[in-house]
Amino acid sequence: MTIRRTLPFAFILFACAVFGPAGPSGMSPVAEGLAGPAAAADLAFDRYHTPEETAAALRDLARAHPGFAKVHVLAKTAGGRELALLEIGPETAKAAKALPAVFVAANMEGTVPLAGEAALYLAKLLCEKAEARSDRTWYVLACGNPDAASRYFAKPQRRDARNARPWNDDQDDATDEDGPDDLDGDGIIAQMRVKDPEGAWIAVPGEPRLMKKADGTKGEKGLWKLQAEGLDNDGDGLFDEDGPGGVNLGTAFPHLFKYHAADSGLWPGSEAETYALFKFFDAHREVGLAFAFGESNWCLAPPRGGRKGEADLNQIKVPENVAGFINADPNKTYTIAEIMDMVRPLAPPGMELTEGMIASFLGLGAVVNPLDDDLKFYKEISEKHKEFLKAAKLDAKRLDPAADKDGSFELWAYYHLGLPVFALDFWTLPEVKEEKPADEITPEKLEKMTNDEFIALGEEKIGAFLKSAGAPDSFKAKQVIAMITSGQFDTKKMAEMMKQMPKKPGEEGADPKEKALVAWSDKELGGKGFVAWKPFKHPTLGDVEIGGPVPFTDTTPPAKMIEGLLQGQVPWALEVAKRMARVRIAEAKVKRLGSNVYEIKAWIENASDLPYPTAMGRRNERVLPVVVTLGGQGFDLVEGKARSLVPAVAARGSQAVTWIVRAAKPVKLEVRAETKIAWGDSRTVDLGGVK
Amino acid sequence: MRKIAAFALLLALAASTLPAQKAGLSVPLRFDRYYTLDEVYEALRALHKAYPGLTKLETVGTSEEGRPLMALTVNNPKTGAPLDKPGIYVDGNMHGNEIQGGDISLYLLDYLLGGYGKNDELTRLVDRACFYVVPVVNVDGRYHFLADANSPDSNRTLRIPVDDDRDGLVDEDPADDLDGDGNICVMRKRDPFGPFRTDPEDPRLMVRVKPGEKGEWTVLGDEGIDNDGDGRINEDGEGYVDPNRNWGYDWAPPYVQGGSGEFPFSGAGLKGLAEWMMTRTNIVFVWSFHNNGGMILRGPSRKGLGEYPAQDIAVYDYLGKQGERIIPGYRYLISWKDLYTTYGDSGEWATATLGAYFYCAEVFMAEAEAFQGASERPAPGTARERAVSDIFSGGVSERDRIKFSDHVVQGDLYKTWAPVRHPEYGDVEIGGLVKMSSRLGPPFQIKDLVHRNAMAVLFTAKHLPEVSLEIVEVKALGGGLTRVRTRLSNPKAMPTMSALAERADLYPRDMLRVSGGKVVAGGQLVDPYRDRVTYKKDRPGLQFLVVPGFGKIEHQFLVEGKGEITVLYESRHGGKLVKTVKID
Repeated sequence: MTIRRTLPFAFILFACAVFGPAGPSGMSPVAEGLAGPAAAADLAFDRYHTPEETAAALRDLARAHPGFAKVHVLAKTAGGRELALLEIGPETAKAAKALPAVFVAANMEGTVPLAGEAALYLAKLLCEKAEARSDRTWYVLACGNPDAASRYFAKPQRRDARNARPWNDDQDDATDEDGPDDLDGDGIIAQMRVKDPEGAWIAVPGEPRLMKKADGTKGEKGLWKLQAEGLDNDGDGLFDEDGPGGVNLGTAFPHLFKYHAADSGLWPGSEAETYALFKFFDAHREVGLAFAFGESNWCLAPPRGGRKGEADLNQIKVPENVAGFINADPNKTYTIAEIMDMVRPLAPPGMELTEGMIASFLGLGAVVNPLDDDLKFYKEISEKHKEFLKAAKLDAKRLDPAADKDGSFELWAYYHLGLPVFALDFWTLPEVKEEKPADEITPEKLEKMTNDEFIALGEEKIGAFLKSAGAPDSFKAKQVIAMITSGQFDTKKMAEMMKQMPKKPGEEGADPKEKALVAWSDKELGGKGFVAWKPFKHPTLGDVEIGGPVPFTDTTPPAKMIEGLLQGQVPWALEVAKRMARVRIAEAKVKRLGSNVYEIKAWIENASDLPYPTAMGRRNERVLPVVVTLGGQGFDLVEGKARSLVPAVAARGSQAVTWIVRAAKPVKLEVRAETKIAWGDSRTVDLGGVK
Repeated sequence: MRKIAAFALLLALAASTLPAQKAGLSVPLRFDRYYTLDEVYEALRALHKAYPGLTKLETVGTSEEGRPLMALTVNNPKTGAPLDKPGIYVDGNMHGNEIQGGDISLYLLDYLLGGYGKNDELTRLVDRACFYVVPVVNVDGRYHFLADANSPDSNRTLRIPVDDDRDGLVDEDPADDLDGDGNICVMRKRDPFGPFRTDPEDPRLMVRVKPGEKGEWTVLGDEGIDNDGDGRINEDGEGYVDPNRNWGYDWAPPYVQGGSGEFPFSGAGLKGLAEWMMTRTNIVFVWSFHNNGGMILRGPSRKGLGEYPAQDIAVYDYLGKQGERIIPGYRYLISWKDLYTTYGDSGEWATATLGAYFYCAEVFMAEAEAFQGASERPAPGTARERAVSDIFSGGVSERDRIKFSDHVVQGDLYKTWAPVRHPEYGDVEIGGLVKMSSRLGPPFQIKDLVHRNAMAVLFTAKHLPEVSLEIVEVKALGGGLTRVRTRLSNPKAMPTMSALAERADLYPRDMLRVSGGKVVAGGQLVDPYRDRVTYKKDRPGLQFLVVPGFGKIEHQFLVEGKGEITVLYESRHGGKLVKTVKID
């Protein structure tokens, strides 16, 4: 990058003068070739890019690398923005791909600018590293929710994951009429606290910038009402209840889609953006691995389970009418494997029974938790991820990433598309270190100490303890030791006294994330991550105070940190991609069974660490079997199929396919193994030369 | 396969540019045979041409093969714009082979428009309601069902290629019309080890051999060959994406329910239709015509969705029971409970996304082809029980059907076994019930079927909300304050918003707006005798409400000032009404 950035300014001027300032469509191929690298060189990670700049950056990369990069505009958003996808790989010129692909969906909620930067960073990396794109296609959707993503850059700045579709949130006589308002004109939509007899909130005693719910059982009485900064623009008594914005694309995918939720839209795919993605994935069956760059993370810890589904695959009750038919006891529960064993003898010969068929027949409903076989590779990868982060020195303790959301891209890609999916976030607030030294003396410790043990601590330590315990200055260590020695005082009494002393105002009840935010703001942002509470004269509410966390502080590190975070973490995606299932023919053997009759046996192996396909992919049957064919002339099949289907090959596993053929002459035949998402292989077998 | 689709598309386009070949179709339409898709289009054009002032013909979507989904809207502009009236929507033929819905839709249009100005009931209906009719949803399906060789059950789906046998080849092994008679029947082969022998009563039928008996026949399944040489027959035909599992509510992927498609509204025509319906915000009721079994089905379509709100069930029960009387033999049932579970069907979408009421009618009963005299029929009561347990056959056997075919339509519904040379099985016989049997009544039954079903629609149309607005009291309270009481009443079964739509907050409730004076307080009048009002604190001049079915809702406003007060009622489903009153 640094070299490209030094490209002489004069040259750019020259290029502009010669070729004119025409846009992409107006450029001649020569101009694209020349102007491209210059533009791509502008891609620096010292600031966040707007959705428009992100799309332009993808275009610049495509222009700079016409041989292997190409932009697809998938849709136009309600806000008139482009949903731009960068394709990088050896097959950009072909509509139908022969090679597998990796899909990266970034910033689907539009509220995580860093995720978008990570996708751009990855795109750039892929353009630079030929080996990472030589045998596969990468599809990079750097900004999955352009309308929402634009709000980070707007004034006032606000965090809202919805696209720009007009939506009547409060179902009244107007749409988008009552959004938040930047009352104090600081460019930030913060919070507003109003003193109110019904107020439920109080300031946290030890950190009065933060608010907590008053706990009446502890003698606390609520003082404030807390709400977003704004006006009741439509005079209906509600504040900010119908702001601009419609559908959160990050939760608008079909798996566990929440119908009738405030921001999920009419149906999964009701939006141009999501519908275009559905169509894309339907048309691009070569996608065999997906990443979701956002707020959740399936590499630090495997995807979560524990959801209550319609059916537990290990405890299936067989409906009475079916039970009689398959000889099951309707009062017992079975595993799906047990049921398959019962059904198998009843199936017509040659019929391939699958779990999916049984589950569908019994009406078991959708899978809602990751399947055990898949958790194996997720666990393995999260171990590897820890090592990776350690090596990159980015393994400092930080707050947990957000949980994956119902209706998210990652859930859809795993449960419906059956792909291995890895969600990644790239930053959360550092964990606040509790600054309590291990040898701190608490009343409880003190009670258990003998007087001698206490005195043995020494004057210095005792002095420090007295100070921290809030003893008056006149109360010196020497005196205390003397009192104990003389029998006037002992450790038990001292502990009792300590317990009765008024407690230092604590931070109990404060939201840990807000605590971390304040600490981060103070330490790294010069306090700019938090708006100090300031009085404000509200037109309808009267005296209020405006303050609170600055939106995005908890998800979006300062621009100067971007490059370091991405440089250390984004290459992980390349590491994971190396593990994509890869189908090969390990061996092919010919055996002569008699005159002109031969047995051909081929071992189809998966030469990689991810299974073909995932257990979920087997269950939902969206990923096709490996198709193994025997080609050539001058032979007849005696046994076996011209197209043999191998439904699954475990990671590093293999499956044999056998044919018996008859050939008058010792011909050469070709065994081919084909997949869409895991490459393929071929091997010539020679019937001649076998004994 | 794509090539074939493209070719078919070209043909379809070429056909659509040709002038209408048959000048035979004119209004009033005749219902003595089933219309081909082109004739449906032609009939719609003829209706539009005959009643230009009352109809609007438009394309609401385009199918996979490029055919238009056409809607005819019936509205009298002299009595208001469509969206200012309650609307009823009717569609048919969502499954390609279930063609009667198209004919019912056309009959409804023809009857309604033909009776306008002649029959008072019909005139009143046309003047106060808006009818949206989409006779054929699966246009490709209807076209191919009638044009190609089919069985009664084939060609149900959308023309979206699906690799059913997951072998990497798509739609490569469909059924084949080996004898070229336009029907996909059944193949059998002589086989002394087969499980069937010829029925001694009727040589066209087969019976299962008893233990120890010698077999005679093996049934080889639907007419066809192993086109892809994988050892299986007809295992990867056209589709399968079911147009009634592809809608955007409670959709589930194909591994949960076969045929649902890759994602909701992957069907291009369905997507266009649904989006068009969303803009027809006045649709109160949706009827969708399928076959068969003789059922008027309401949701929920899946148990897990939970029962509908009691207020909605009351509406369904009232209309459904009347439907049972209008169409004798049909049963009003609950979809998941009495039929089967479905995900992503159009009905649940209509109720839970569009916010309408919905019936799916499964038209045509097997009983219509029962060859049984009155004294031979099972006693009343037991027949119903048996029919529910065996909902499609209705207790009518193939034997009955063959006799019906023999004696009532002179053999038209059955193809007698005839030898054919099969490339893999050698000598086989092909025979059985033909395409136009089983789920479709023979032509002489069409008129009764389309008439009665259309009348069930008209009964529901009569119960679309019919709201009237009255200012029932204007009373000076002194000090320049006036009390204004309003009443919105509705003598029909349907409220202006279903309880389900209310619960899900699908769209704004009706609005009652008072302007002209300063509204100091306003709210719903709960008890007029004790002056009990649930006042709305903010914006009291604008009230949100639902007018119940068979009922009323009253409001009270305290108004300051003098002059003309305007009360405006605006509702998606109840129309628009204005009343004014002078305060002096």
